[in-house]
Amino acid sequence: MKKLEPMEILLRDLKERSKELNCLYQVEEILHKEGMPLGKMFNDIADTLPSGFQFPKIAQSRIKYRNIEYKSADYTETTCELKSNILYQDKITGEIVVSYKQESPQTACVPFLKEEVKLITTIADRISYVIQYRNLKDVFSEWQTMKKDLKKEVISEWHIILNMLNRTDRNLYVYISQKMLHYLCWNGIEDAKNLLEKYNTQNKLYKSAQTTYTNSPTDKSNTDTIVQISNDIFRIAARHLTDHHILTNIQNWIEEDKSRFLVRALDNQNSSLDDIINAITRYKHITSDGTILSASAEKGLRVSLIRYFFSDQLDFIKIAKNHITVKHYYDLIEKIIYPSGSHGRLGGKSSGLFLAMQIIKEVKDNPLLKQIQTPNTWYISSDGMVSFVHYNNLEGVMEQKYKELDEINIEYPNIVQIFKNSFFPPEIERGLAMVIDNFGENPIIVRSSSLLEDSHRAAFSGKYKSLFLANTGDKEERLDSLKDAISEVYASLFSQDPIEYRREKGLLDFNEEMGIMIQEVVGRKVGKYFFPSFAGVAFSKNDFRWSSRITREDGLIRIVPGLGTRAVDRLADDYPILIAPGKPSLRVNITSEEILKYSPKYIDVINLETNTFETIEFLILLHEAGQDIPLIKQIISVYSDGFMQLPGSLVNIDFNSKNLVVNFEGLFSRTDFIKQIKETIDLLQLKIGEPVDIEFAHDGKNLYLLQCRPQSYTSENFPSPIPRNIKPEKMIFTADKYVTNGQVPDITHVVYIDPDNYNSLNKLSDLKNVGRAVGKLNKILPKKQFILMGPGRWGSRGDIKLGVDVSYSDIKNTALLIEIARKKGNYTPDLSFGTHFFQDLIEASIKYLPLYPDSDNIIFNNLFFNHSGNSLSDLLPEYSYLESTVHVIDIPKSWDDQVLKILMNSELNRAIGYLSDTD
Amino acid sequence: MNKTYNAFDTAREQFDKIAELLDLEQASKDLLREPLREFHFSIPVRMDDNKVKIFKGFRVQHNDALGPAKGGIRFHPQETIDTVRALAMWMTWKCSVVDIPLGGAKGGIICDPHNLSQREQEQLCRGWVRQMARNVGPLIDIPAPDVMTTGQHMLWMLDEYEVIYGGKYPGAITGKPVGIGGSLGRIEATGYGLIFTVREALREMEIRVEDTKASVQGFGNVAQHAIELYNKLGGKVILVSCWDQDSGKSRAYRKTDGIILKELQKITDNFGGINKEKAIELGYEVLPGEAWIEQDVEILIPAALENSITAENASSISDNVKLIAEGANGPTTIEADRIIKEKGIFLIPDFLANAGGVTCSYFEQVQSNTNYFWSKEEVLSKLDAKMTDAFISVSDLAKKQKIYTRDAAYILAVDRVARACSSRGWT
Repeated sequence: MKKLEPMEILLRDLKERSKELNCLYQVEEILHKEGMPLGKMFNDIADTLPSGFQFPKIAQSRIKYRNIEYKSADYTETTCELKSNILYQDKITGEIVVSYKQESPQTACVPFLKEEVKLITTIADRISYVIQYRNLKDVFSEWQTMKKDLKKEVISEWHIILNMLNRTDRNLYVYISQKMLHYLCWNGIEDAKNLLEKYNTQNKLYKSAQTTYTNSPTDKSNTDTIVQISNDIFRIAARHLTDHHILTNIQNWIEEDKSRFLVRALDNQNSSLDDIINAITRYKHITSDGTILSASAEKGLRVSLIRYFFSDQLDFIKIAKNHITVKHYYDLIEKIIYPSGSHGRLGGKSSGLFLAMQIIKEVKDNPLLKQIQTPNTWYISSDGMVSFVHYNNLEGVMEQKYKELDEINIEYPNIVQIFKNSFFPPEIERGLAMVIDNFGENPIIVRSSSLLEDSHRAAFSGKYKSLFLANTGDKEERLDSLKDAISEVYASLFSQDPIEYRREKGLLDFNEEMGIMIQEVVGRKVGKYFFPSFAGVAFSKNDFRWSSRITREDGLIRIVPGLGTRAVDRLADDYPILIAPGKPSLRVNITSEEILKYSPKYIDVINLETNTFETIEFLILLHEAGQDIPLIKQIISVYSDGFMQLPGSLVNIDFNSKNLVVNFEGLFSRTDFIKQIKETIDLLQLKIGEPVDIEFAHDGKNLYLLQCRPQSYTSENFPSPIPRNIKPEKMIFTADKYVTNGQVPDITHVVYIDPDNYNSLNKLSDLKNVGRAVGKLNKILPKKQFILMGPGRWGSRGDIKLGVDVSYSDIKNTALLIEIARKKGNYTPDLSFGTHFFQDLIEASIKYLPLYPDSDNIIFNNLFFNHSGNSLSDLLPEYSYLESTVHVIDIPKSWDDQVLKILMNSELNRAIGYLSDTD
Repeated sequence: MNKTYNAFDTAREQFDKIAELLDLEQASKDLLREPLREFHFSIPVRMDDNKVKIFKGFRVQHNDALGPAKGGIRFHPQETIDTVRALAMWMTWKCSVVDIPLGGAKGGIICDPHNLSQREQEQLCRGWVRQMARNVGPLIDIPAPDVMTTGQHMLWMLDEYEVIYGGKYPGAITGKPVGIGGSLGRIEATGYGLIFTVREALREMEIRVEDTKASVQGFGNVAQHAIELYNKLGGKVILVSCWDQDSGKSRAYRKTDGIILKELQKITDNFGGINKEKAIELGYEVLPGEAWIEQDVEILIPAALENSITAENASSISDNVKLIAEGANGPTTIEADRIIKEKGIFLIPDFLANAGGVTCSYFEQVQSNTNYFWSKEEVLSKLDAKMTDAFISVSDLAKKQKIYTRDAAYILAVDRVARACSSRGWT
């Protein structure tokens, strides 16, 4: 075959193009003839179409509409056809076909140009529109006529609507009729029930509807049946319901129908996250006019959405459905990153926070709650991690959890490295690039949000990683660090700690997936650092009471300056400030010494210069940039003249002074902060139906909620069940006042300071030596397997008679500290609740229990305490002269290999200590 | 059955011993071994929950023959009247030994501030004053902060007092912040007072301060100011010990050519705890805390804990030691006292050595009464004069009577009070 020159090709293309445009022009002419009957229109178009094709002489065309065919002259069937459908209300009602009477001269395989394909599609679309336009025009003119008639005779408005629906949207017409029939039946209308039975209406309606818009011509009898049944239904309706009632119902059902695609998408097991998000977006546009669904329909939709995005836990759904509406997803879906075909959820942390925030936003008339915000947050669906694993062929890692712990431990660092050197699937990578654009250069935190965090009441808090990013540098660098952080969080799923925990709790076989929350870090830039003014955690229930006047219901706040990491975790070398929002005036630390000692000395920050998370000395930060820290006046007090004083104005603060102390006095006593937190946790507890714990941060302007979950998920101290069947001879003591939660199992030694004998010691040095002996016992007894019991106030300074003279380091290995208050005449002294080292006890998880042996219904086994063998002389011969005061009871030795178990239940306000065989 | 430890019994035993030495009249003995007046009263407080709770308050005025009584107010959950009596008596002797015209008192409220809000504590303070207003005041009895009370509590009390009397009486209370009736120099007073007595002791022993070295137990407020003045006078501290919060042990930091106060202060927390790592970086040698007593120095200054010089460690005191100045309360046990006496070491007893604090409280009262406040230099120079005089009186008596300084100080203090009582015709 002769090869065409470039110029010839160009000329040929231009000729083809003009042919197509001519044809299109002519078809437009035909379509614009309004009065022309459809049949004529189709015939004319069929005759015109061949002129638009490359080989007009051999081209032919055929149009089929509602099973009637309109053909060009001499039409013969061939195999080489170009076809496009004619649609009416999204249903195929016909087709346009162009073909060549014989094989094309050039090639048998590709007879049509791509421009020709476009041409026929365009014409098919134009025909579809014209048909629709003509139909609607008819309906409108009928509507105008009816409106005129309405004035003359009584025709109900709903009647007209129904009529229009029958003409324009048969599906909806059938749906509405069916809804009305069910509505009548549900309302006990006999005629309707009979009708249902008589026609087996549902089937007929459906069948009729299904067969209406196929490629066959309208089935006259079917149409009649539908109209007949519908007429019957609405005749009954007209008898039993008012016109207004019927109209309202029809309107509601029409609205409801609009959202059915969303319901269908959610009901469909195969719908991916992408499908659902598209459906929500469509729903958003459809309902932008303020459409309101019926309560039940809306609720159904809410539940399906919650199940899809957040959780299928019934407890969660039960609450969330009352607060998370369809509208709340409009913004959320813009911020979800997911792999193609995703069926993932957002995970526990995300769910808790999203729900809490909707609950708070619902309250309109509370200015304090209104100020609460959440940081800008993006989400990666939980199967993002699975897709990451598959994309990098790392499937083997999924079996990691079944390996031996040692093996897991050894392999974990390698897994982290492999993950960090792996790639993200393109769709996730694209999403992360958007995240980086959206956050700009604000520091971010990448937090785990796993399915187990949500689905089981397992304290998964802190088991997976959360990583801070300074997020500085060019876009590529920032994206790389973000990806690096996400890989590391993903890898933390395979570290020893969570796997061991899952093994213990029988959760190993659970298909754990890891969602990710990418949050803007709340805070401000101060010098080279970035951090919030303060942050912390708050609990509905206070498990650590430091005064008998504080109840569990008074709650607890742990608050620190800077990032909240120091408040969330127990600290070995520092202390957060504690306060009970229900009794804010009862502070833990009263004396200046206590306030100084138990004030935070360090602060966690993000160093923007080195791009690292750092812990720095707070005083040094104050020296460097104290005056730039927002709210600094509310955070610190000045230790001067022997007591803490609020700083006056900023100019009065000497930021170089060593006497600046973090105690948040200004925040607590001069702002609404405590009230704001209290109202938040109270509201969340009320709506969620159980105590909650929240994380918060403040940037100097607004308070941000960072996390919310039921407190029972995180509490390390569960209320211990108290068995009732313990034999009396095994009981050692009981308590029923100020009991906290917890268990102290397997105690082998009790150090018991006899209150009467202690009180009888008449030499100061003897009294002091009781403390020294305790300090020495603390070093030699098995760690956390002994308890200390003694009179009054342990560690009390001032009068030694009040309690044993010890410092925290003298008692730090005990599992439990018991203070005993024996009655003196009619008077039972107050106990200290461990206030002298209260915060040390908390940070070291040492439990505390007050005992009142002389109260009614209390057991205190004097035989055990006074007549068990005393090991003091064996252990510390130098203190044997204190034997009558200091009793060291080796329980397994004295009591047949038994151990002491102590169970404490705050809810019952009851604790018991009893002897038991070792487990 | 054993008799339980009772602070008042101990205080009376001490007094009886001195009374015998002084050969006091029976009436004087009877008067001084008991408080002159005691007030026991109830303080109703409307609590935050709107319920009223009744608290027990005390004031014990042991003796006011030398002038208005003076003493702290303690908030204590298990306060006993005997403890308050003992403390009031000690206040009488303490004021007397430095020859300030004040008597001794002590008071308190049975309460645990840990169970009270700030507002409730304020109400307690005001309630205490309402009950005692007629029996305290600048010319009768002047309260001050003590266990679990601070300048804040004093301001509440003063305010209530002034409301009752409809005027300004800043001299009714001491321990007030500077600017609201407080005195400058209070922070330095105890440490400086201690060194004023050290300086005088060395002068008597004809030793130049510049030729001495000292080892100091403790690095709190008293120790730091003592070191500051001692350095100014030319002395060299080669070791300080302090409590290490983290390890629960005491540690000593040594630099044989002399510690540098300023650099150590920079690495010290508010409790006098020195950062070990940073101290090592600065070239300090870290030793166990007990090492403070074994140093080859001329002066030992225990300025931290009670009972830190015991029979066990007193024998390890270097023969070079010439002087022990008790900056802390009761740092020496009775047995150790005996050893020190035998070794012929000069001892400046606690209630003389650390009387700078109470002297400065007296100055605060004087300034408040005249409503004219002195510069820090003036306060400290007056303190110097007072401490020097007090030291000389004690030392002269010790020399004259050939008695131990601790006994001399006691005798001097009791004698002054007994004579005042007698002169007034009370005994």
